Amino acid sequence: MFGWLKVLGSRIRGWLSMRHVDEDFSEELGAHLEMLTQENIRQGMTPEQAQRTARVKLGGVTQLRETNRELRGLPVIDTILKDIRYAFRTLRKNLGYTAVVVLTLALGIGANSTVFSWINATLLNPLPGVADQTRVVTLMRTSGDRLTPSFSYPDYEDFRDRNQVFSGLIASSIYPMSLTYNDKPERIWGTVVSENYFDAFGVKLQYGRGFLPAEGKVPGGAPVAVISYHLWESSFDRNPAIVGQKIQLNNYSYTIVGVAPREFLGSYTALRSEIWVPMMMHYQLFPIGGNPATRLKQRGDNWLIIQGRLKAGKSSEQAQAELNTLMQQIAEQYPKEHEGRQGIRVYPLWKVPFGATAFLGTVLMSLMAIAGVVLLLACANVANLMLVRGVSRTREMAIRLSLGATRGRLVAQLLTESVMLAILGGGVAVLVTLWTSKSFASLRPPSQLPIWIHIDVDRRVLLISLAVSILTGIVFGLLPALRTSGINPASAVKEESGSASGGPRKFRLSSGLAVAQIALSLLMLVFAGLMIRSFQKAQRFNPGFNANNVLLASYDLLPEGYTDDRGLQFHQQLLAKIEALPGVQAASLSDWVPLGFIFSSSTFVPEGYQPKPHELIEAGIARISPNYFRTMEIPLLEGRDFRVEDTRKTQSVVIINQALADRYWPRQDAVGKRMRIDGDWATVIAIARTSNYTRLNEQPDPFIYQPLYRDYLPSVTLHLRVSRNPAEFALAAQNTIHEMNATLPVFDIIELATRIQVASGIQRIAGSTVGVFGLLALALAAVGIYGVIAYSTKLRTREIGIRMALGANPRDILRLVVGQGIRLTLIGGGIGLAASFLFSRLLSSLLFGVSPSDPFTFAGVTCLLAGAALFACYIPARRAMRVDPIVSLRYE
Amino acid sequence: MAEGKSEILQGTLDLMVLKTLEAMGPLHGYGIARRIEQVSEEALQINQGTIYASLVRLLHRSWISAAWGASENNRKAKFYSITKAGRKRLAAEAENWERISGVIGRVLRLAERE
Repeated sequence: MFGWLKVLGSRIRGWLSMRHVDEDFSEELGAHLEMLTQENIRQGMTPEQAQRTARVKLGGVTQLRETNRELRGLPVIDTILKDIRYAFRTLRKNLGYTAVVVLTLALGIGANSTVFSWINATLLNPLPGVADQTRVVTLMRTSGDRLTPSFSYPDYEDFRDRNQVFSGLIASSIYPMSLTYNDKPERIWGTVVSENYFDAFGVKLQYGRGFLPAEGKVPGGAPVAVISYHLWESSFDRNPAIVGQKIQLNNYSYTIVGVAPREFLGSYTALRSEIWVPMMMHYQLFPIGGNPATRLKQRGDNWLIIQGRLKAGKSSEQAQAELNTLMQQIAEQYPKEHEGRQGIRVYPLWKVPFGATAFLGTVLMSLMAIAGVVLLLACANVANLMLVRGVSRTREMAIRLSLGATRGRLVAQLLTESVMLAILGGGVAVLVTLWTSKSFASLRPPSQLPIWIHIDVDRRVLLISLAVSILTGIVFGLLPALRTSGINPASAVKEESGSASGGPRKFRLSSGLAVAQIALSLLMLVFAGLMIRSFQKAQRFNPGFNANNVLLASYDLLPEGYTDDRGLQFHQQLLAKIEALPGVQAASLSDWVPLGFIFSSSTFVPEGYQPKPHELIEAGIARISPNYFRTMEIPLLEGRDFRVEDTRKTQSVVIINQALADRYWPRQDAVGKRMRIDGDWATVIAIARTSNYTRLNEQPDPFIYQPLYRDYLPSVTLHLRVSRNPAEFALAAQNTIHEMNATLPVFDIIELATRIQVASGIQRIAGSTVGVFGLLALALAAVGIYGVIAYSTKLRTREIGIRMALGANPRDILRLVVGQGIRLTLIGGGIGLAASFLFSRLLSSLLFGVSPSDPFTFAGVTCLLAGAALFACYIPARRAMRVDPIVSLRYE
Repeated sequence: MAEGKSEILQGTLDLMVLKTLEAMGPLHGYGIARRIEQVSEEALQINQGTIYASLVRLLHRSWISAAWGASENNRKAKFYSITKAGRKRLAAEAENWERISGVIGRVLRLAERE
């Protein structure tokens, strides 16, 4: 039953000791021959005669040894090894050809492994350092039509205590905070977390411990912190005795209890947290509003991200169903805090519809698809090169066929060659990827967020590259291998000097491939053109405010221990000083900068508006000082700006945007209307023109501006409109702040125009990557056309010679050769344009301000490709024109 | 393929080698070949080398084993002997052979009568 296994085992043993087996067998045969000879002599033959007869009787020794070797060892592996050796020799003999093919494949495979390395580092490993990430999910709340990631602490507690599907439910929120160690202040991003954080994520600390259950019970009762490995290196000099040391966070003392492992960056994809503090310390970190437990008690205050680890055997569908029910129970219990229809959605980490995964998901998937097209193009190119080369190997194939090789053997040999080429190409591609994978970091937009993506060429990238290489080798090698080996040996040897014209039949496949190349590269060029145009449009986009000549600088008074009054005073005096600087045209403060990743919103009740059932009335919100609109150059359509006097002591006022006025008070004068917000009735004093708040291509969204001085906000961003290059004011702004407080850290000093580039991040990544792909495609197509035309021209040398001898002039020859190229280009171009029209709309999520069938782009890239094709034909055509009829007829 | 074509012949040769080893005890390749020729009364003139392919096949299945030893005239030679598994196999094959040859014989005789 297991006979074949026994045979295989025996064969493997034999193969491994083949040299020994061989010698053994030779000796055995020697003994046999001698015994036969002796016998023959005994029967009366002469020694010579005896020996000859013995050899005849035994059979051919060489053949016997060969058979023995085949029977004892593994002939398949021997054949493969032989093929590989042979392929190596062939490739080494044609270094130029090998280099071109390897390079072409390296580009194609490299494009794929690069994009894959990005996907691998983000979507496939969304939270490095977290154990078994496929069992971790993120919760989202549906509230009316809106999907939001934030929850209140009381809701979190209810979910945590009442669910049966999670082995751990984690709440967290990330903030910038001020760390002081050895009297050195530093601005870092830290996460406030539920105490089960490290356990539930399965993170084993490098040093010390995570948080204890007791540290999640009493508000203010857990002044402990875990620091990141990166912070331990950068700010604590890798001090091995760090656990137990005291630090200050926002002016409050904490004890370091642990250091996170190097790979763990936190619980939000692509964001690096430097420190983790128990949730119970929230008030000590941000002592705003009322008593220490306020934020932990307010059900209407949604500020937490909830993630959970599924229990073994529970699916995310089960989790979603159960939490949905729970959410509805909670909403019924507390209707005031849960307006609109409430529900829960559960997302796996890589699909989370906010943050980096939402941002990267579409881009990377599209890039992967486009990289696939590049690889296909490279395959077509190489297949054509091989076909052309196959023609010149006809004689070799014919000889091998007549010597008894089967067609299967020839195909196997040719495929071995192409797979080897592909693996060589893959090797080069991996080397290239080591460098290009890092380039993703340079596409990272400037942001105040601690964006950090660690991209490595790891084992998974290597394996995928290898798999892609082998597959590629088969894809581009099969067709040429079948074609090259499928010849009739008799006619092939003759044909060499045969047909006068290269013969269209022979080139049908080759021309077909050239057409495919042109079509694919036109498709790529259209994609690249659309992306680049989108990027340009996004760069020149008018967001509704003037981002030029504005400098931003941020500071946070919270850790400095200012009282509310003194803090307000600080803000106002600073503005006065800044405005007095020469060159400063306007200055203001705000707690928010548009078109970043950070956005806050608030529900409100517009006076006199009849809401539809379950309608959630919500708007984006920012707190601004007077002169904000002047600084940003956002026109007030009606009403007055905020004044310094608009504080808690006077009547509550707000400024709204046009979109809000149109939606809730249509065809009415919105100025003078009132809205209930933050538990107060506030009067609308002005309407600002609607601008862009979160994205470039957003619908006009309702927005509310509140006066900054109404509540004291310690953390603000200074906006300066200046008359010259804003960078020149960075030092002056910083000095002015330091005149008032010498040790106050000033951070995120950046031009507004630079800062809002985040908003065009998708277009930047897509534009630059696909742009490069497009150039590759153009080069590949040009090389492809050149290859086909040059080769067919070479084979037609004779025909051209005859034509010239019969009186054709060089211009006719030019027409002949270029005409062939133009025909190919026209067919390929037509197919490519049709494909582009069909497929370009798949990119629409990446495009901005450009229609997927933008005629300008289509026309432009078509001209570009046509130019490249003509040039590629012209070179062989010129060579053809110089053909000397006499030489050409003697040729061969 | 060459191997497929002569499957029956190969099987027959393997069977004869096994039988020879069972009857004669350990033998070298030459001895086996001679013995088969003698027993068949020189009717079966084989290329003696083919015996070795048969020996390899039997070795793979561990129906025979091989060891170096000294020949009659004190020359180094490889001796093959039948194993336990080989004897079992031989018994089964021999029975099978009897049955098949019996059937074939009957069919042929039947055909002659008609």
